[in-house]
Amino acid sequence: MISFILMVNKQGQTRCSKYYQWLPMEERVALESEIIRKCLSRSELQCSFLEYRGYKTIYRRYASLFFIIGTKPDIDAAQVGGENKENELGLLEFIHNLVETMDKWAGSICELDIMYQLEEVHFILDEMVMNGYIVETCKGATLKAIDLLERESRKGEAMFK
Amino acid sequence: MSGMHLSKEFFELLKAIGESKSKQEEDRIIQREIATLKKKMEAKVSKVAIGGGAPPQNQLNANKKKAKEFLVRLLYVEMLGHDGSFGYIKAVELAASSSIIHKRTGYLLCSACLAPSHEFRFMLVNQMQRDISSSSILEICASLIAVTSIITGDMVPAMQSLVVKMLDHSSEIVRKKAIIAMHRFHQLAPEAVERQELIDKLRKVLCDRDPGVMGSSLNVIESMAAVDPKPFKELVASLISILKQVIEHRLPTDFEYHRVPAPWIQMKIVRILAILGKNDSNASNGMYEILGETMKKADVGINAGYAVVYECVRTITSIYPNSTLLDAAADAISRFIQSKSQNLKYFGVTGLAAIVESHPQYAAAHQMSVIECLEDRDETLQRRTLDLLYKMTNPVNVQFIIEKLLDFLRGTTDSFLKEDLTAKVCSLAERYAPNNLWYVETITELFAISGEFVSQEVSQQLMTLIAEGAGEDEDDDADTILRQHSVTIYADLLEKPIAKLPQLLIETMAWVLGEYAYLSADFTLEEILSKLCELVRKGKQLKESTRKFIVTAIMKLVAQAGTCPPQAAKIIDDFSKSKDQDLQQRCIEFQNLITSAPHILAEVLPIDASCEDVQVDPNLTFMDAYVSHAIANGAKQYDKPDDDDDEADYELASSTKASAFKMTPYAKPTKPGASYNSSSMGGVGS
Repeated sequence: MISFILMVNKQGQTRCSKYYQWLPMEERVALESEIIRKCLSRSELQCSFLEYRGYKTIYRRYASLFFIIGTKPDIDAAQVGGENKENELGLLEFIHNLVETMDKWAGSICELDIMYQLEEVHFILDEMVMNGYIVETCKGATLKAIDLLERESRKGEAMFK
Repeated sequence: MSGMHLSKEFFELLKAIGESKSKQEEDRIIQREIATLKKKMEAKVSKVAIGGGAPPQNQLNANKKKAKEFLVRLLYVEMLGHDGSFGYIKAVELAASSSIIHKRTGYLLCSACLAPSHEFRFMLVNQMQRDISSSSILEICASLIAVTSIITGDMVPAMQSLVVKMLDHSSEIVRKKAIIAMHRFHQLAPEAVERQELIDKLRKVLCDRDPGVMGSSLNVIESMAAVDPKPFKELVASLISILKQVIEHRLPTDFEYHRVPAPWIQMKIVRILAILGKNDSNASNGMYEILGETMKKADVGINAGYAVVYECVRTITSIYPNSTLLDAAADAISRFIQSKSQNLKYFGVTGLAAIVESHPQYAAAHQMSVIECLEDRDETLQRRTLDLLYKMTNPVNVQFIIEKLLDFLRGTTDSFLKEDLTAKVCSLAERYAPNNLWYVETITELFAISGEFVSQEVSQQLMTLIAEGAGEDEDDDADTILRQHSVTIYADLLEKPIAKLPQLLIETMAWVLGEYAYLSADFTLEEILSKLCELVRKGKQLKESTRKFIVTAIMKLVAQAGTCPPQAAKIIDDFSKSKDQDLQQRCIEFQNLITSAPHILAEVLPIDASCEDVQVDPNLTFMDAYVSHAIANGAKQYDKPDDDDDEADYELASSTKASAFKMTPYAKPTKPGASYNSSSMGGVGS
């Protein structure tokens, strides 16, 4: 299962973080800074996967921003000694799918867009990943749901005027 | 869409965060922000009607837009590592908003920030119940998303039946989320949402008319089948049929990702087939064709395709074997491992690890590539290769492979990796050791490198091995040689600074030297004895158990040497006052033995008898002479308390006590009348 999804920039500043397994704040902060350090220390020629404290981690860099997914064995399977069966290449492409989706939504996504509309980025993630599982990969379906949300909210705001 | 919709304040905040040059600067910015937000929570709207009227409203309540922005800023505060708990209550309030974006923002903050034990989670249950019963799809979705991350085990019963109803909702956006929420309930409270109930629902959801809903259900099926595949075996045919439709491009075009049809759905189904086909030739039989097809069609030269190919390779190696498919899988692995792309090499190595366990013959062709990967500068690739090596071990290459594993152990500081590699080395050494001496050397080396991760069992096993030898033939010479070598190895360790040695290693060393120091070719018994005394004297940070091992070893050596040198005597004297009762007892007993009965020391601490049973005479016949002598001198014979006496005593007591209880019933009460003297009554009245 996906344990966390992070968007961290080269300077180690977290732009978006989503955890599907609860971690207390100090652990999150430590994890985020350590993982980005590890990602930064790796060269372009090395593979996009690394292992960190039991998390099988997949990362991909887009300009100044790193998209990082950390996975752990599925909770149900872990109880019977199961291993982490996540497909690293599949998740690497999922990151790309996510970026393409955000790109379509924002009309060319950049780090600033994520900063200015943080809650919307979370809503997009909420459509695609639930409880650490990938539930939606079709860009159309995801954006349709987000569009519904945005239209409804604009209606609401008009009322308040 | 730039930051035009943000308030000036928020915009400035983001600008400052974006431009900050150091963590400290960022911390200062956030601290200021926290102060600002706290003020906002208390700020009141300035207009107050003169002469009473409504009490001044909190600024945030008055303006929903401001409230939502407040929460997003609070999210920033927490995301950057600072505590924003002062504002959580606003998140709970906003979740009750009628505006969907505000509601979602409120729920978002609660999911992200409230710890599982936080009482606010309970406060949200009511709201989630209301939202899921709403007629608005968006509100239902908000509730389903929230419930999956906010709910805890005890809240499940409150939401359960409402979520079940959503599985039949007309909107596929709802159904897709409902099945995941149900699974979450089952994970948190398996008594409330039982396996069978969930499995029954899953069958329906798998065949949902919307492929997105079907895709969502695959996650739950995979998760549950991994625990127990039996109830899902009947789904094999449906899964194969769905996979067939997917790879034939019969899903809507939106499902295509760079012209690969629904790659993640393909991967999931193939993974589920691996679970269901394992050790089941019937189930596996039905899968061979589709797996071959899927693998071929996915081979289009892009990552998404390779990911599917790899999943097929994994499945082919776990289900009941089929040689055509295995050949195809081996071929794919070959291409991966020889690829220029590091990511594909990684898959080559993991694929090889999967195939080599059950079909080792495929590994032989790739030995060169494997060695290259091991020496690659990419640490991830190296680690994967170590995994592969572990699975490839056989009696021929075990020494080489363990050398590599130990090399890695020496070089890493990652405790997860250390633990993993240590376990691997122990298991391999046990299974494939070419001879006992090699085992002793290897395990000792392991203790030295990562003793803190080795289990107590392993060291016990090692000690037993040294004490008992091979066990198969009574080859005393081989046993002695083994012990001699062990002693040499461990005596050498005495020269090393003890701060660097793991406790387990010191314990084993102390035991070996205590038992067999007399075999040492380099040191005399006395030398070893004095070194051990040094060790325990200087070792302030030693664990109690380690100290006991060393002290016991000292005692054994004293017994063997026949005399007790002053250092040893002082040490034992010191520890006879130890706070640890066990250690204290041993020392005092030893002191008593030395002073009053030194001749039986050799029997109490015999040489090389650690594996022999202690002979116990339960009747203590050796005391008979003493006893009869004492009785002859007038001592009273021992009156053994007899169990039967207890019952007899009890009866005795009850019979004597019987008189205390009146067993006859009281006489019935008689009516007042003739017995009363009318004159006496009259006497009272008048």
